[in-house]
Amino acid sequence: MGRILPFTIDPHRETRDLMPWLISGRLEPDERARVEAHLASCDECSRELAAERELAGAVAELPIATGISWAAMRDRLDQAAKQEAIVPAPPVRQRFPLRQIGIFLTAQAALLAAVVSITLRSAAPVAPYHALGAAPAAAVAGNAIVIFRPDISESEMRRLLKDSDARLVDGPTAANAYVLHVPDAERTQTLEHLRKEAAIVLAEPLDAASLR
Amino acid sequence: MSDGSVAQWPTRETSSPATPEDLRLFAGVRAHDRNAFEALYRLYHPRLSRFLLNLLHRPQLVEEVLNDTLFVVWDRSETFRGASKLSTWIFAIAYRKAMKALRRLDEPIEDHDADLRPGEDDGPDAPMNNRRAHDALLAALGRLSPDHRAVVDLTYFHEMAYREIAEIMDCPVDTVKTRMFHARRHLRRMMDGELADWL
Repeated sequence: MGRILPFTIDPHRETRDLMPWLISGRLEPDERARVEAHLASCDECSRELAAERELAGAVAELPIATGISWAAMRDRLDQAAKQEAIVPAPPVRQRFPLRQIGIFLTAQAALLAAVVSITLRSAAPVAPYHALGAAPAAAVAGNAIVIFRPDISESEMRRLLKDSDARLVDGPTAANAYVLHVPDAERTQTLEHLRKEAAIVLAEPLDAASLR
Repeated sequence: MSDGSVAQWPTRETSSPATPEDLRLFAGVRAHDRNAFEALYRLYHPRLSRFLLNLLHRPQLVEEVLNDTLFVVWDRSETFRGASKLSTWIFAIAYRKAMKALRRLDEPIEDHDADLRPGEDDGPDAPMNNRRAHDALLAALGRLSPDHRAVVDLTYFHEMAYREIAEIMDCPVDTVKTRMFHARRHLRRMMDGELADWL
């Protein structure tokens, strides 16, 4: 509180503070340009940089390591799986393989049904014979899986689906993923497009093989 | 242990795996594919064990904290919202768990550096001056606070940007720069002469 920010950055101090990330190549281009410009005209900072590089190299080469302990983790997973089998987890944390999606009717599935209903009602009919309730959603095979950001609005989700010409097939899973069907011929481009959306955490193809 | 207790020394190459690979495996983890989780575990183990050993200075705690961390990745994968890189999220979990483990310990500070120093069985070929410089640097790191050690290692070994480090340690970026500045000054003062001999 009460800290007064200078109008200009002291290049000497900025160089001193940012030197470690200049060495590791992790500065933003504008920061890097400023630091390098200062180094070109400041012998003291250049000497400092040379000494700092030695330290950076020495730290990076320190032999610090432990052995892999996958066996312990595997035992822990087995134990957790056994416990889940004995005491059913609360519905929100319940997990099941993708191939069983749609079998469990949970509160989340009810929400999904509402979203599907809204989506279908507001969208132009995909085909003349497609009508609400005419066929179960499971009749359409999913070929993509997406995870939306948890704070996404329904209208944003609807926009993304419409823009991608995608249909919701199932979800949300326990991990809040949704199974979609997108036009097969455009799946790669569609998924690339979705990955660029801020509201998408993950968008991956889903094939029969991956469902095993 | 069937999968060996041979230390896998991380290198700069293993320190920053290609992002698409870890995200691809993470998609499998979200679908609860155990093979994908094992691959992700093996991908992150070298980097996390290095980070935690440097931070905790207690090998017996490293495995516990590391497995606690990666178990969260398996069990709570839905809490990754994609706002940061996957590695930042995982390291932040590891950092929180390590600090919690340190707070739980109520033992006096002792010669932890002995745990980290390369052992007597490093082999006859290990150059003496390298070992001496390693020892001196480890000793100097050991005199830093865990937070300062973490910033040094995340910057110089894991090659993380200061913004990522701030996210992992849940602190302002200026705090990261200040910690790094003080740590560097301390290390260089402690290492005066040793680095020159080494290089």
